[in-house]
Amino acid sequence: MENNIAIDINKLSKSYPGRVALNEITFSVKKGSVHGFLGPNGAGKSTTMKILSGLIPESSGEFKVDGKVGFLPEHPPVYPNMTVEDYLQFVFDIYSPEKSNKKEAVADVMEKTGLSNVKERLIGNLSKGYQQRVGIAQALVHSPEIIILDEPTVGLDPVAIAEIRDLITKLKKDHTILFSTHQLHDVELLCSDITLINHGKIVVTGPLEKILEGLKTRMVIRARVGSFCEADVKKMMAQFKLESVEYKSEPDKKDITLKIVANANENSKKDIARFLTDDSIGLLEFGEEKLDLEEVFKQMVQ
Amino acid sequence: MYLKKIGILVKKELGDAFFSPLIYILSGLFCFMMGWLFFNYLLQAKTLTTATMTQAVITPIFGNMNFIFVFLCPLLTMRSFAEERKQSTLDLLLRSELSEMQIILAKFISNLVMVLFMISFTLVFPIILALSGYSDWGVVGSSYLGVLLSIMAYIAVGLFCSSLTDNQIVASLLTFCILLGSMLMVITVNATNNYLLALIVQYMTVPFHYEGFVKGLFRSYSFIYFASFIGFFFLLTLKSLQSRKW
Repeated sequence: MENNIAIDINKLSKSYPGRVALNEITFSVKKGSVHGFLGPNGAGKSTTMKILSGLIPESSGEFKVDGKVGFLPEHPPVYPNMTVEDYLQFVFDIYSPEKSNKKEAVADVMEKTGLSNVKERLIGNLSKGYQQRVGIAQALVHSPEIIILDEPTVGLDPVAIAEIRDLITKLKKDHTILFSTHQLHDVELLCSDITLINHGKIVVTGPLEKILEGLKTRMVIRARVGSFCEADVKKMMAQFKLESVEYKSEPDKKDITLKIVANANENSKKDIARFLTDDSIGLLEFGEEKLDLEEVFKQMVQ
Repeated sequence: MYLKKIGILVKKELGDAFFSPLIYILSGLFCFMMGWLFFNYLLQAKTLTTATMTQAVITPIFGNMNFIFVFLCPLLTMRSFAEERKQSTLDLLLRSELSEMQIILAKFISNLVMVLFMISFTLVFPIILALSGYSDWGVVGSSYLGVLLSIMAYIAVGLFCSSLTDNQIVASLLTFCILLGSMLMVITVNATNNYLLALIVQYMTVPFHYEGFVKGLFRSYSFIYFASFIGFFFLLTLKSLQSRKW
């Protein structure tokens, strides 16, 4: 294993009777990175994370994890009738029974996760956002090098989501983090690398910037024009190398909206704009649609 | 270190148990039933018969205590694994430094402590008897031991059933069915004409071994029976916990 790789997964498969949950997935997580793990529901994210944390065995393939793993499952594994402090001390005890710095470690992790002011309260009485924090604290308390978080922001209100996001930002200094999420906004803000999985197969994996870069080769132009017809489509297709040109007229307006998908390298926006400003067409509005992660997600998952 | 790890979980379990009202409700119910039975047996013992105090009070009171625990043990053990499964905290334990066997032992010990807590209230009976001049302490001691061994067997069954499901009601009903079923095997013993079969089935039932203790008999094969009974259900529980890896 290379020195800067924290998790190395090689052709990992998991099959249940009659169903393949993971099909030879291969990717790696760099040390000190925040790695986003994306995919629709049932794609195999949780299964992968459970295998990595040692909860269930793999069917075939192999993986290497360099260091201790702290794991937050989909539902925070908390005891509702324990206080936050007692609970974290208990988790510390069962995960590192030979260590003696319990008090400091628990106080430290409560400080980090912002739980110090609720340490005397029963976990069952806390809000969902706080329970999620307790779940994260539980994954941190035995000071693992790698933290795996399974949908840490699911079901939380926007404020709580922002807080969890801040927390992850804070943690990224000391830990390698692999987390799954549906919040693409989170991914764009937090992650340096992403892996997209669908139907148990890796769709794309790598540094976020590169993946977004790769998308810029395609360009989607939306325009509003005075008039447009099939002949214009043919003319455009002949003149520029376009993937598609769609047009539809809005029933309550006189204008026609255009959607042009073009290859960014070979077509210049200017030329297309000049074509559309022709008298017979009459350009009213012209804009390029920004392809963000959401688009990628939709396109790749389809 | 092995015992220390068990101790961590036992401490947490007992904290949980004595924090919840269930143990106090069960204790209250148990004390009420036992006290009522003891009072009645004492009254009956007043009439002049050839029966000794041991026969008239001790034997039936411990027989009843054992039978009551067939109902109470499923209620005590039902939450052990079922609740952990429901709260998804079982994974937390299984991922930790504790081995599966340590988790089972910790759950077993904490349930046993709860039962000891309940039984400790009945110590008032020997005290009352002592004040009225009763002195056959050997039988009382062996009866307590018999009840305790039976209850340990019940707890082992209860833990296994609890590890099968995340529904506490299913767990307690299943435990109850297995315990009652093992008691009803006595009927087969009485019904069959095959002497050998009767002996074998008789050996398999808990009450047969328990009866020896109430009579003050320590039979070595009864100890082996209880040890293997508990060991067998520990093994089943262990397999049930490991089944997630199948």
